[in-house]
Amino acid sequence: MLGTVNKMKHQMMLFFFQRGNLPSLLLASRKKMSLKSERRGIHVDQSELLCKKGCGYYGNPAWQGFCSKCWREEYHKARQKQIQEDWELAERLQREEEEAFASSQSSQGAQSLTFSKFEEKKTNEKTRKVTTVKKFFTASSRVGSKKAEIQEAKAPSPSINRQTSIETDRVSKEFIEFLKTFHKTGQEIYKQTKLFLEAMHYKRDLSIEEQSECTQDFYQNVAEKMQTRGKVPPERVEKIMDQIEKYIMTRLYKYVFCPETTDDEKKDLAIQKRIRALHWVTPQMLCVPVNEEIPEVSDMVVKAITDIIEMDSKRVPRDKLACITKCSKHIFNAIKITKNEPASADDFLPTLIYIVLKGNPPRLQSNIQYITRFCNPSRLMTGEDGYYFTNLCCAVAFIEKLDAQSLNLSQEDFDRYMSGQTSPRKQESENWSPDACLGVKQMYKNLDLLSQLNERQERIMNEAKKLEKDLIDWTDGIAKEVQDIVEKYPLEIKPPNQSLAAIDSENVENDKLPPPLQPQVYAG
Amino acid sequence: MAQAAAAPHPRATPGQPCVFKLVLLGSSSVGKSSLALRYVKNDFKSTLPTVGCAFFTKVVEFGAASLKFEIWDTAGQEKYHSVCHLYFRGANAALLVYDITSKDSFCMAQQWLKDLEKEFQPGEVVVMLVGNKTDLGEEREVMFEEGKEFAESKGLLFMETSARLNHQVTEVFSAVARELLQREERKKDQTQQRDARLALNERPAGQAKCCAH
Repeated sequence: MLGTVNKMKHQMMLFFFQRGNLPSLLLASRKKMSLKSERRGIHVDQSELLCKKGCGYYGNPAWQGFCSKCWREEYHKARQKQIQEDWELAERLQREEEEAFASSQSSQGAQSLTFSKFEEKKTNEKTRKVTTVKKFFTASSRVGSKKAEIQEAKAPSPSINRQTSIETDRVSKEFIEFLKTFHKTGQEIYKQTKLFLEAMHYKRDLSIEEQSECTQDFYQNVAEKMQTRGKVPPERVEKIMDQIEKYIMTRLYKYVFCPETTDDEKKDLAIQKRIRALHWVTPQMLCVPVNEEIPEVSDMVVKAITDIIEMDSKRVPRDKLACITKCSKHIFNAIKITKNEPASADDFLPTLIYIVLKGNPPRLQSNIQYITRFCNPSRLMTGEDGYYFTNLCCAVAFIEKLDAQSLNLSQEDFDRYMSGQTSPRKQESENWSPDACLGVKQMYKNLDLLSQLNERQERIMNEAKKLEKDLIDWTDGIAKEVQDIVEKYPLEIKPPNQSLAAIDSENVENDKLPPPLQPQVYAG
Repeated sequence: MAQAAAAPHPRATPGQPCVFKLVLLGSSSVGKSSLALRYVKNDFKSTLPTVGCAFFTKVVEFGAASLKFEIWDTAGQEKYHSVCHLYFRGANAALLVYDITSKDSFCMAQQWLKDLEKEFQPGEVVVMLVGNKTDLGEEREVMFEEGKEFAESKGLLFMETSARLNHQVTEVFSAVARELLQREERKKDQTQQRDARLALNERPAGQAKCCAH
């Protein structure tokens, strides 16, 4: 018991350590201590229970043997040290980047990296504005506040930034490689995209709607320019647009996905809570034409749920849309297998609603908002992806509005289910609900089967024992009978008879026999 | 969301047909899907969707012009009525389908029209009223004249069809296509006139060039 408690404490501490990034020195001493605490189960020394600092209070293994007060002091010291180190690392990285930047451009040696970048961009903006920028961007690029820039630069999370930059770098490389195939047009596109990203950099303080509008304008301008000036065939324009979207949205993602200035996150939590509250909704209530008892169908349902959850992990709006489309295809398959005919929209929407309720995809509203704001608009209003996305929007809107009537329930039942007083599952006459997941059902079946087998096994064992007993009884019986008979008729062996010659010697009846026939001689 | 609800304009790419989005509206089991399936299937067996029949595309050749229909089927159950306005976004045409053997479905079609009117300016979308299931003539509850009168009073196109017997199905879509092209043509003329009047050098994007070839 003590061991498990200690273990839990260690886990908790590990958590703190991970968050606080304590130096390895402390980790090593923690290991030593854990050994000690394991030994303690056998032998407890009074001195070991006291605080290591000798303040007289009892120590705690979770606090490295310190009492709470001393521990806090020690921990604070270590944490300060770590923060100091982090700062130094961040500053070093900044310096390095600055130097790299300064060597490529004759920079004026500003204090912080982003600030110098900021200055650089501003001068760039000034010089290029006259020539190209104005042509592409009608909206004037407002200058972001310096304060926000510097604060962001100082945020001590270099590891996260580096991680994301790896992916952005990869996407950038791919983008450049892709554009190389278009030679001059590619160069032009790259220049425009760069300018756009720079312009967006200064628009971070604007409302998300304004940023979205800028992005949409950019999409439209670039596509038009390619067609009219670059004379790019339409199929290729679409391809290039896809790549542009991928490139810019990978870079903008962290600033424009679920931004703090909006209530996206609040909406996310609201819908998540709502879906959780609706956990009791059964496919029957929604009239979902999917029979999950068919293994293939439940397979499809699981796949559809996985796809819709996966949507959150994608960065590019188009990839998110692709997840929705994949999910929808699986739903259609599930319906087709159940009904044996192609599904119509009348079947599809309820099933999608059911999948969303079952999956409770993370950050659903944020994702929808993000796609609406930053996806290439032509793809949202038309095309297959657009169709499925619209269906998802409908499903979410429906879930938000869902009431007793839409589930064919009485208001009382609905309220009771919503408040969690009862569950429709409990009212089922069977001991498990018919819509429980297949695994659980299978388990119940197997348990049933096992108990039946058990019974039969016992019966067989009984019979076998009986048979054994019978057999023993039978042998005993036979042996006894044989014994009886043997006793009743004792075996007596008579002495052997006399010689064969005297066989008739004692035969009295021989005297009465007629005399033996004498041979008669006939003349002849 | 404002930018997403912007005025619909077909994607105009030279050498390719314009894309028109057509929404199928109506109560459940009036035959929306069957209508679309019949229309798409009859001429193009190969493009028949393999799993779902909720989203279709079909290219229509129309004399010199050609256009591409994107047919969006919608869930007709009444409980989804409140969310279905989302489907309208960016639509160019709508078919209001009802079942001639069900008065209710006819009333619902009128309800759908009201929803459409809320979302669109008059004349912005081509709306057609379609009475389906003429093969069940003996159970008819909605008279031909009734439908026609209603359509005329609201300025809608009107036709009765039978998806089962393939009666007048193609005609429905052709009529919508013709109307769409005519409107496009008119819009183009207007734009040109306005351009000439105002002597603008830059024409508004996405309108002027559509369906010229």
